Amino acid sequence: MKIIVKQAAGAVIVHLEGRLDLSTGSNLKEEIKKVLEKGARRIHLNLQKVDFINSSGLGALVSIRKQVRTKKARLTISNLGAHVQEIFEVTQLSQVFEIFATEPEALGSTEKVAIE
Amino acid sequence: MSISQIFEYPSNSKSYHQVVDDVNQLLDKENVSRQERYPFILAVSEALTNAVIHGNNKNLHKKVKVVITVNEKLLSADIIDEGNGGLDRIRRRKPSSPKDEGGRGIDLIEHYSTSVGFVQIPAGGLKVEIRIERKTNLEAKK
Repeated sequence: MKIIVKQAAGAVIVHLEGRLDLSTGSNLKEEIKKVLEKGARRIHLNLQKVDFINSSGLGALVSIRKQVRTKKARLTISNLGAHVQEIFEVTQLSQVFEIFATEPEALGSTEKVAIE
Repeated sequence: MSISQIFEYPSNSKSYHQVVDDVNQLLDKENVSRQERYPFILAVSEALTNAVIHGNNKNLHKKVKVVITVNEKLLSADIIDEGNGGLDRIRRRKPSSPKDEGGRGIDLIEHYSTSVGFVQIPAGGLKVEIRIERKTNLEAKK
């Protein structure tokens, strides 16, 4: 999986390409850890080019969410493909993450109250 | 007409990607639509990940066998590990909550499959039997 990190609109924006599973999820967790250690307090994940995600990939995202919240930062996600969106809904993770249709929408938003 | 193919994977992290590639290639060759393919590949991926981690404990001396059968009515996968205690672990599992990092694999397999079976192999190992009825067959039944 490709992980492309950039800064814009006061946020660290991470574009993911490819599959999010156990091994690539570990890589993503490490990247987010580095970004948080550098002081990022707003992280956005764009999943438009994620063509496959399984429960291990979801687990990595849950872990990342915990990391982010421990640092009192904010995490948003956008551009979920149809299959990925469905998996988030089936697992009820659509209620846990702040998910937006598009990246501009996410970056322009204020924090929603999340289920803890 | 039915086709079957057997794959064998070592119990390492490369297998997680390889099984997705292999099953996708097979389904592509059999003209299975992307819509139908995704849930099946996901279910097989989940079962293989479980087999590698929980069944075989990532023991490189143990393998996971995956048997895929495709016909016009059904997509079938049998995922067989060489471990111990798999059936007990599945019976003891608790439902996952949204805050959990793990534990969603079997829920996803069950959600997307028409039927799932868990069979303890007498010689050792667990077989997970995934069956997904194809949409064309479901529509014909209406």
